[in-house]
Amino acid sequence: MAAWVKGGATDADAAVMAAARLLSSAHAPVFAGLNAEVAAIRAAYDLAGRIGASVDTAGGDATYADLGALARVGAMQAPPAEVAGRADAVLVVGEAPLKSPLVERLRGTKPVRGRAAGAERSIHHLRSNQDLAVQIAHLRAHARGHMTSDAGMAETARAMASALYGAVLYDPGELGTLGIEMLQGLVMDLNESTRCFALSVSDGTQDRAALQVAAWTTGQATRVGFGRRVPEQDPWRFDADRQARAGEADAALWLASLPTPRPTWLKTLPTVALVGADAAPDLAEVVIRVGEPGRETGGVLWNEGRAGLSYRAPEQGADLPTAADIIARIAAAVAGRGTVAGRGAVAGRSAVANSEDA
Amino acid sequence: MLIRIQGGRVVDPTAGRDAVGDVWVEDGRIVAPPSDRKPDQTLDAAGCVVMAGGVEVHSHIAGGNVVTSRLLLPELYVSEAAPEGHPFAHAGGAAGWIGATYARMGYTTAVEPAMPPVHALATQLELADIPLLDRGALTVLGNDDHLLQILRDGEGRAAVRDLVALNVATSRGLGVKCINAGGASAFKDGALKLSLDDEIPCYGLSTRKIMGALLDAVEEIGVPHPLHVHCNNLGLPGADDSLVATLDAAEGRRIHFAHAQFYAYGVSDPENPMTGGFRSAARRIVDAMMANPQASLDIGQVVFGQTVTVSLDILRQFGGRKGAKPKKWVLNAGDAEGGGVVPFLYRPKGPTSSLQWAIGLEIMLLSGDPERTILTTDHPNGGPFTQYPRIIHLLMDKEARDREIATLPGIVKERSEIATIEREYTFSEIAQLTRSGPAKLLGLDDRGHLRAGGRADIAIYRDDPDRTAMFTAAKFVLKDGHVIVEDGQVVDWRAGKSLALTVESDRAMERRTETYLQDRYGQGLDSFAVPEAAFATDKPVFEDVACRT
Repeated sequence: MAAWVKGGATDADAAVMAAARLLSSAHAPVFAGLNAEVAAIRAAYDLAGRIGASVDTAGGDATYADLGALARVGAMQAPPAEVAGRADAVLVVGEAPLKSPLVERLRGTKPVRGRAAGAERSIHHLRSNQDLAVQIAHLRAHARGHMTSDAGMAETARAMASALYGAVLYDPGELGTLGIEMLQGLVMDLNESTRCFALSVSDGTQDRAALQVAAWTTGQATRVGFGRRVPEQDPWRFDADRQARAGEADAALWLASLPTPRPTWLKTLPTVALVGADAAPDLAEVVIRVGEPGRETGGVLWNEGRAGLSYRAPEQGADLPTAADIIARIAAAVAGRGTVAGRGAVAGRSAVANSEDA
Repeated sequence: MLIRIQGGRVVDPTAGRDAVGDVWVEDGRIVAPPSDRKPDQTLDAAGCVVMAGGVEVHSHIAGGNVVTSRLLLPELYVSEAAPEGHPFAHAGGAAGWIGATYARMGYTTAVEPAMPPVHALATQLELADIPLLDRGALTVLGNDDHLLQILRDGEGRAAVRDLVALNVATSRGLGVKCINAGGASAFKDGALKLSLDDEIPCYGLSTRKIMGALLDAVEEIGVPHPLHVHCNNLGLPGADDSLVATLDAAEGRRIHFAHAQFYAYGVSDPENPMTGGFRSAARRIVDAMMANPQASLDIGQVVFGQTVTVSLDILRQFGGRKGAKPKKWVLNAGDAEGGGVVPFLYRPKGPTSSLQWAIGLEIMLLSGDPERTILTTDHPNGGPFTQYPRIIHLLMDKEARDREIATLPGIVKERSEIATIEREYTFSEIAQLTRSGPAKLLGLDDRGHLRAGGRADIAIYRDDPDRTAMFTAAKFVLKDGHVIVEDGQVVDWRAGKSLALTVESDRAMERRTETYLQDRYGQGLDSFAVPEAAFATDKPVFEDVACRT
């Protein structure tokens, strides 16, 4: 196992102990990234709960753009395979969704299921050269018959309203909460007379896996803090980048067993980095190389084509620990240091939840 | 280790037992009283009622809709300080909280009734994180294009059976459920209402045909639990017609009706059936059940207060969206079933909510067979499962019921019989309603009773006239012979098992389904599988449940 402490190569035990020391001596540790398999995400929440850390994800801003709108107005949505199989009209909002392979697939195929089966599929596009939220508002006004001034917009509104099954693709990070709220309003309006669904295009991180794990583990979404022993969700307060910039965090765990853009604070904040193939000695104060799920180790990952979780077996044998294993070892070392005694000597879920005789 | 539970009032209706006595436990099982051995441990049950651990057949405790409900309405549950031993047991609504809360109430098994095969792995991972309980999930079918194609093409019973078996095996389900069969598909094609014989657009099928095929498949496979059916027209005046027509359509085959309270709504004004409101049809439903011993139901009791409704019946949830309170809702038009999440307030003392509350109790109080009348709130749809102790209290105590009825609007007495029913449930009947009935219904012969050989899942309650207090916090709860709750607190954070049917799937159907999935998703059966390796533990997560032979 490759591991480094302050740039020097070391063995697994020493790296785990250094990680445990770093995290357990912090007053306000932050766990960030979580671009990893479900078992590692689960282990990260478990350890965060024990040591009073806060948690954020690599795609946190985009995730919370969606969640902000969801918690205010709700949503009406469909997964990619349903849109590809049923939609006879598709509206692409902004430029970011164009990077998705789904758009290519939609351009090259026709609907095959439902009442639109066999029809030609029309694809419409709202460009981001003007404010997207305002454009969607105009489109919604046209769809409701409140505006008639813009011929192009009126045509798009007519196409979506006359479709048998419409779909509206957007990227939450590009559109933002207010734009998504307006978009969902448009979709809900269209469903008064036909069927139309929104589809939020994933940013390629494991945020959607983390969202599920967070919800069933804490009852809340991803950005939670455990400083007061109970999970508290606060999208602003537990934004890891903000905490690092503001100097609120004094240590971090960066979990990225999958390739992930690195935050700028990795080298300025005392950090334990659990990373895959891009591990390097100077990445952070403590660096531990872990297996990349789906390639070097098995793991459950978000499957964008299925809009769900799938298990991915390793493609190749690799003598590497999983990120979940390392976090469990850090947790055991933290418990051994007695730092959680004040929190009730928490026995920990990972140690007991799947054992018969713990 | 030999354990003696000593001197409690032992209530086991399956053995005709309701008397003070002992229960003996060894190696996780209930054993006959040994003639010549002393116990290693004695639990004093004097002044207590000893029952089998509670068994839940229909509670939405995991899966995509449950996750979405937490995101839509994060304020629904309150998180309190974490107790010793588990970092998330007081995280309101979370898996740890669900396990701990059920266990404190004396429940030891719980079943999530709505697992779409496309999301089986997520549901099973979530269930596996519920501590203390054995858990399981019902595989939902009835709206998937592959099944509907096979039925449309008239391929016959064997093909349907093989596809159902494959889905149950792949998702590791404990049974099969259909939810407004064909309704989600019809909704996506523009329908807003669906009854038993209405045509499903694009397939030329009906709910009757789909459900009939699933009823046959469940019997041919030998699934212990009968087909679990969520009928058409939930919650609408006249929904009693839907339930009775569905029962007739079963033509004598075994069938279980989910949350029957939401169908016990007779039309109040025949001149204006959809706008004139409803009146209780509890007696009609009960009479129909008594005439059909092969049928069973669970209640879906309503309790007052804020909740969030979750259902794969997207047709119904879309119809109910304008009643959302607060005014926000989510509708996922998923790959087969989809799902809808609509917050709802059962308004305390509101006429509609009060009548719903009365109807659920009425069904239980009129029932001649509590073992086929299972207590549920359809958590969280009628309200949270945490209200079971209060519901039990109302069933057992006519005075408490009368006091509550006296606070409710007059419509309760005008449109239901609740105020005239004198019956008070006995402990044995409560055990039938919450233990032996649901265990038999799920085909889990090893639980729901206290006979020798049974699993040592046992609840010991202080006999308290305040039945709400009594059933909220057990004195002791044993899971597999280990004390997990003492004085209402969890003392041993053990893990239960996920119960899954052992079903053989047909190789030809596997190949055929692989082709179908590759065409639709660009991915095959592997991406839908629920392998042990996904659970990141070296301990077994699943326990096999055999099919009927």
